[in-house]
Amino acid sequence: MNSLLNKVFLLQNTRALVCAASSVQSQVLTTQMPLGVLLTNRQYRSMPTHGIGRYRHLLPKALPKKKKDKIQAKQIKAPTATEFGVLNVCVSGYDLTLVEHYSQYIHNLCSHLDIKVDECYALPTKSTEVMVMQEQGTKMYLDGVLKTHERVVQISEMKATLFPILAEVLLKNQPEGVQLCIKQHTEADFQARFKTRPELQGLIAKINN
Amino acid sequence: MAAPFTRVYRPLWRIITTTTSNGRVRNVSYTRQQWSAQNVKTAGAAASPWALHGAVCVQRLPVVSQDRSPIEEKFMELMQQMELERSLLADHELKLLDDAARMSRKQEEDYDSDEEEDYKDKEIVTAQDLEDVWEQKLKEFQPAPRTQGVNQKDVSSSERCLADSLILLVKKDIGSQKLWLLPQIQWQMGETLRQTAERALASLPGADLKATFLGNAPCGFYKYKYPKDIQKEGTVGAKVFFFKAVLSSHKHLPLEKNSFAWVKKDELQDFLKPEYLKQVRRFIMAL
Repeated sequence: MNSLLNKVFLLQNTRALVCAASSVQSQVLTTQMPLGVLLTNRQYRSMPTHGIGRYRHLLPKALPKKKKDKIQAKQIKAPTATEFGVLNVCVSGYDLTLVEHYSQYIHNLCSHLDIKVDECYALPTKSTEVMVMQEQGTKMYLDGVLKTHERVVQISEMKATLFPILAEVLLKNQPEGVQLCIKQHTEADFQARFKTRPELQGLIAKINN
Repeated sequence: MAAPFTRVYRPLWRIITTTTSNGRVRNVSYTRQQWSAQNVKTAGAAASPWALHGAVCVQRLPVVSQDRSPIEEKFMELMQQMELERSLLADHELKLLDDAARMSRKQEEDYDSDEEEDYKDKEIVTAQDLEDVWEQKLKEFQPAPRTQGVNQKDVSSSERCLADSLILLVKKDIGSQKLWLLPQIQWQMGETLRQTAERALASLPGADLKATFLGNAPCGFYKYKYPKDIQKEGTVGAKVFFFKAVLSSHKHLPLEKNSFAWVKKDELQDFLKPEYLKQVRRFIMAL
């Protein structure tokens, strides 16, 4: 009886038939489970809408991220006869709005001229305290604090023929109070962005000694 | 500011030119030497009938920003007003308000100074006093004048028109007539055209100008034929390659009036011949 039922389900596979069959055979079923559960357990894999909401298989395979991800220094491209390697355009000054706007202008100009901009980052702010000597006495008192802000736009693979034009435009549009310097990117520049870890260095020195 | 700009600017430019020269300039000059060597070898057959000249376009960059137009002025005022109205109070302004409130509380009859919290430190110097001291200091500060007091029409001074970029012109006799042109000199065998341009700048009589060249690639080109009577066998005319340079030393010595001129882009037409002007105008940016 049960095997006949299964065959009917597989062949026909319509709810109406199922309901009719179940109502007829409900007393004969040996399992004590309620009807609905039994029917859906058997039902869904062969329904045409089975797996309609699946999406996980479409996502790219995300590898589990390692906890200690050491930031490797990117290979600095060497300059060729017609192209520069990696250049750092540093903008620094006391006035933050001017520095920030000028560095944004440089970034927009480079992307407009199809010059590849690798990175655009800020270096930590340096504070300079201005101490003034008192008129009577030798003590110095704090007159003010000047903060120097610095922004760097990193450019790579710049054509040597385009460089004079870019340099001229940047120099002509440089605002007052902002210093511009264009230099080649070195490993030391990259390492200068990281904080030093004195305890680690102390331990390493102890191991070596 | 001009002074710190040149201080920072010059040594780092040297870094670029010296470090890149190892990779770049030598390559370029090597190829040029190759070309010139090859030319010499084939000289017997067909030397180029054009004499090569290298010229330099020395620019004094603007020192101050340009003045705002009336619309820009109005807009700036509007933006500043909007920012002021939207901004929050600064620490100093909050202190001023606190002090004013404390003053008014002091005047009342049932004033009890023990009720004040952390007031003991600020009894001596109030925020208003600080502000008065700062205003005094501001009055003593004299900013540098935007114009150096030089006549704006005096073409021989490099201090005129601080808001625009100026180009150096020299008066030279070509053939029989005296012409205003960018400083140029004939190319010699075995040197790169950029070195020719540097030589052209260095060989200017009486002017001790230090300039930084922006690159190895020329920015412009002008070709002219010699008049028929001067044309010797083999030379039809001359080709001039222009290189851009930026003035790095700010010497304030006025140059001779009749042989040197610092001009803006729109004044060039008063000095240069039309054909020459057409080619020169293409690479000079009036930003």
